[in-house]
Amino acid sequence: MSFVSLNIESPSESPLKVTRRALAKQRTRERVLAAARRLFTERGYEGATIRDIAQAAGMSTGAVFASFADKSELFDEILTADYEVLYAQMVQAARSATTVDAALLGLFGVAYSFHLEQLPLLRASIAVSWTRNEAAERRSRTDLKHIFRLIGEVTQRGIDQGQLKSGIDAKLLAEITWDVYVANYRRAVFDGWTTDALLARLAEQLKVIFAGARA
Amino acid sequence: MGVRDDQKLATREKVLLAARDLFNDIGYEETTIRAIAERAGVSVGSVFTTFASKAEVLSHVMGHRLGELYTEFDRVAPYLRGTTADRLSSIFAIHYEFETRRVKLFLAHIAASFSPSNEPDVTPFGRNPRLSQMLFDVLQDGVDRGELRPDLNLADVVDVLKATYAWNYRQAAAAGGVGDAPAMTAAMERQIAVIANGWKAA
Repeated sequence: MSFVSLNIESPSESPLKVTRRALAKQRTRERVLAAARRLFTERGYEGATIRDIAQAAGMSTGAVFASFADKSELFDEILTADYEVLYAQMVQAARSATTVDAALLGLFGVAYSFHLEQLPLLRASIAVSWTRNEAAERRSRTDLKHIFRLIGEVTQRGIDQGQLKSGIDAKLLAEITWDVYVANYRRAVFDGWTTDALLARLAEQLKVIFAGARA
Repeated sequence: MGVRDDQKLATREKVLLAARDLFNDIGYEETTIRAIAERAGVSVGSVFTTFASKAEVLSHVMGHRLGELYTEFDRVAPYLRGTTADRLSSIFAIHYEFETRRVKLFLAHIAASFSPSNEPDVTPFGRNPRLSQMLFDVLQDGVDRGELRPDLNLADVVDVLKATYAWNYRQAAAAGGVGDAPAMTAAMERQIAVIANGWKAA
């Protein structure tokens, strides 16, 4: 009861306190995330420890653990935030194109140019996805589901518009397209290929993949 | 060959064997050079005089394994029969069968293939000339027999096949490092069939 009356007496003070604390917490998270992004980019996933990240963020290891359960949660949070930005742009690119090939090159082009800007982070995320934990696996599966749905949308539109045959296995085509899209990153990593070079390659690969599917 | 060379070779063999087992049992990232030396019964220093880095050890472990695999292939290749799709399926089936015996090793190999290494002695997945050549030969044979379109860009097809082959190991990664070779082969066969729809000669 005294609680309620206290609130009535000074209505603005208590909520403000909560907000301030929430803000501080939010700022701490952001500082940790920024430091982690920088270190993962510089050193890869294994090379950056929670201790390094805390130090770079100017706080104690304990303070980092107050916001994140472990390193993999931190890493996943960075990738998820990136993915949300990226996915919205991929949808945009896919929907504004008129042919199946243009749509696929458009959506993967967005992804290539996004990831080439921060290639070490992408490398770390790919490496982790092959050798590590369930959380990474779950996240990548959820992300993939969205992208496969988007590719499915593109192929369905291709069928509706008479560019592709109606009986094709759209899911398999999407899978193979995804496989080559990912594999092509090796060209960027080892040979320094640009987004344009990767897209030129992908265009040729799409010809191979969709040759039997065209109407 | 002198005694010293013999010793060097013996150390090398021991290190590769120990690394192969550790990478597969506890994981590549988790395995230290020290642990490899301990298991091999050699000094840490002698590992480093033989290999420049852990990445190089992994590359050599894989190269060593593939040596065995491709010796087997040299024997089998002339006897591949059926359509081009059948022959390719057989090649990949043998690969899946072989690699799933130590699948975590292969997962580490793929993971490493996206990280650049400055060492000239590291051959990442995707740069395996034997696999590429084998696929190329089967496709070329298909063209020669009139089964495949003559204007098909074989290098592009090889690229797509290799990407698809590697990605099927996702199944093993998702299962926590357990590889189901028949399931992976079945997936690969479906994928090859999709591509084969587009390569038939008119």
